[in-house]
Amino acid sequence: MIFWEIAKRNIKIHMLRSSLAMLGIVIGVVAIASMGILGNSLVLTVSDSLRTVGDSVIVTPHVGGMGGFGGGQGASSLSITEQNFQQIKRVSAPNIAIPVLQNADRMKLGVGGDDIVAPIYGLNPDDVPNLLTLKEGGYSRGDSGCLVGSTFANDNNVKVGSRIAIGTDGNKGTLRVTGIIEERGMAFDVSTDYAIVVTKNWFDQAYNRNDYDKVIVKVKNLDDLPIVKTAIENQMNKRDKIVDVVDTRKTMETLFQAFGQITAFVSAIGGISMLVAGVSILNIMMMSVTERIKEIGIMRSIGAQRKEVMSMFLYEALILGVVGSVIGGAMSLLGGYVISSVLIQTTKYLFVPSSLIYIVYGMSFGIVISLICGIYPAWRAAQLNPIDALRHE
Amino acid sequence: MVLLLQKEQEVTASMNEQPVMVFKDVVKVYPLPSGDVTALGGVSFQVDRGEFISVMGPSGSGKSTLLNLMGCLDTPTSGDIYISGTRTVDMSDKELTEVRRDRIGFIFQYFNLFPLLNIIENVTFPMMLKSKKEVDPEKGRAALRSVQLDDSLFTHTPTEISGGQQQRVAIARALINDPDILLLDEPTGNLDSKTGAGIMELMSELNRKGTTIIMVTHDPNIAKYSRRTIHIADGMIVE
Repeated sequence: MIFWEIAKRNIKIHMLRSSLAMLGIVIGVVAIASMGILGNSLVLTVSDSLRTVGDSVIVTPHVGGMGGFGGGQGASSLSITEQNFQQIKRVSAPNIAIPVLQNADRMKLGVGGDDIVAPIYGLNPDDVPNLLTLKEGGYSRGDSGCLVGSTFANDNNVKVGSRIAIGTDGNKGTLRVTGIIEERGMAFDVSTDYAIVVTKNWFDQAYNRNDYDKVIVKVKNLDDLPIVKTAIENQMNKRDKIVDVVDTRKTMETLFQAFGQITAFVSAIGGISMLVAGVSILNIMMMSVTERIKEIGIMRSIGAQRKEVMSMFLYEALILGVVGSVIGGAMSLLGGYVISSVLIQTTKYLFVPSSLIYIVYGMSFGIVISLICGIYPAWRAAQLNPIDALRHE
Repeated sequence: MVLLLQKEQEVTASMNEQPVMVFKDVVKVYPLPSGDVTALGGVSFQVDRGEFISVMGPSGSGKSTLLNLMGCLDTPTSGDIYISGTRTVDMSDKELTEVRRDRIGFIFQYFNLFPLLNIIENVTFPMMLKSKKEVDPEKGRAALRSVQLDDSLFTHTPTEISGGQQQRVAIARALINDPDILLLDEPTGNLDSKTGAGIMELMSELNRKGTTIIMVTHDPNIAKYSRRTIHIADGMIVE
């Protein structure tokens, strides 16, 4: 314990240089933790906007191929036929296969309102509850009703009961809003926040369609996602590749993996500042050893073992590392708060374990770097010849 | 029972009679790029328990080398050294350190106290090295009182007390682990004559109480306090 005490006192009497060395660690911890928190917050922000899409297999016509679907149509007019849909439905059973039609068109809201252009989705009324949740109103059963996305409703002041004239000058007809869809964010299946959802019948009539743009298979057991994907691919792409099949969970995993790598990379850049701090610790520890050569000689001559001398300097490095890391950890919370507030406009992702772990990483790295950088000076001190050390002035 | 008691007394007596230090044909050669330098060229002597010996010699005679070997800070090129009957020449660094800690008390010319520790902590430092735990400061206080240091100074740091007082603290530190031998390296070299005389009186008193002392000095006035003098010149004992 006396060596711990000596280490503490040595730091105290050299407070300025000890503080500067600790400042390096503080900066290193803040850099790693803040970057990590920022990266993680970005991931969480994106994952929140991509929610509810991790349980689907999305089937779309193969865009890269020539001919294929629908009797040799060009890539620009590819679609999924009723027959193909039935095949997909059969191999996906008992999971629900939802055919989706999509388009974009002009529409007018209210009398004298401006024309706007928005996406239009066509869905079977029976499928809508399986795919969309309403925050207001009810699902439309008849062909004269439609649902609108929440952003669409907010931006255009649309309420349940409002009427929307579709097409140029309303040539496709007028629909009554029966419900407002809960916010879904950007999704792989249907992005309805700024869209309207109509019945398949109305869509077929309005746009003269008898096929589909995509099929969404809602998989009940998430472990079956790859099985369903493979089954569809095997069935549909037997001879030519005519559909692209995307497992949304896998896609999200890949996406988050990429985000994770970006976060790790950014944190690693923060880690460079920690290495610089480590060099600073190494420097002041070497100074400490040089200044105390005689003291080391006295200790050794009166019976201190090499490992005890070594421990004294390692304690010193440890104290610098722990104090610097604790201060850095506290400042990282503050830094993370400020960065999140400024860059993401929310701090709700700061106090979650996946963000806070970066503070633990930063602090651990700070302590480990300090100790590693203390090893060589401590070893040098322990290896000093007591006779030479005693003679040192 | 009587026989057993007699046996025990004989063993104790034989331990007490055992020389504290024995040097047998000790040679120390320093290999240098310009050629080997023989600092000690075959030194033999014996120090019995309770002796007060001074080692004298001119500069470069081998005094420091002898002191380093006596203090187990160095090992000889050849020959044997025994400390209280234990051969030390083949010991590892760890074992030599233990010998220094447990059997030898060092007193240096420049006191060599630890500036970061107060007086009590300086004195109890070797005890802590030995016990590996916190020690009773009362033992340190008793050791300091035995070298006539005032209680009011115990919590001061070394820089806050005089040279003579620092040397008394160093003596208390050297004595704290009850060593077999005290090794003094010019103990009054950094003190005025009056303070130096006080320190030497203290050493004489400790010797009278049974402490074995070997003192390296070049000052004949200081050497007078010892009861035997070993003169050394050109790495050899000349008397």
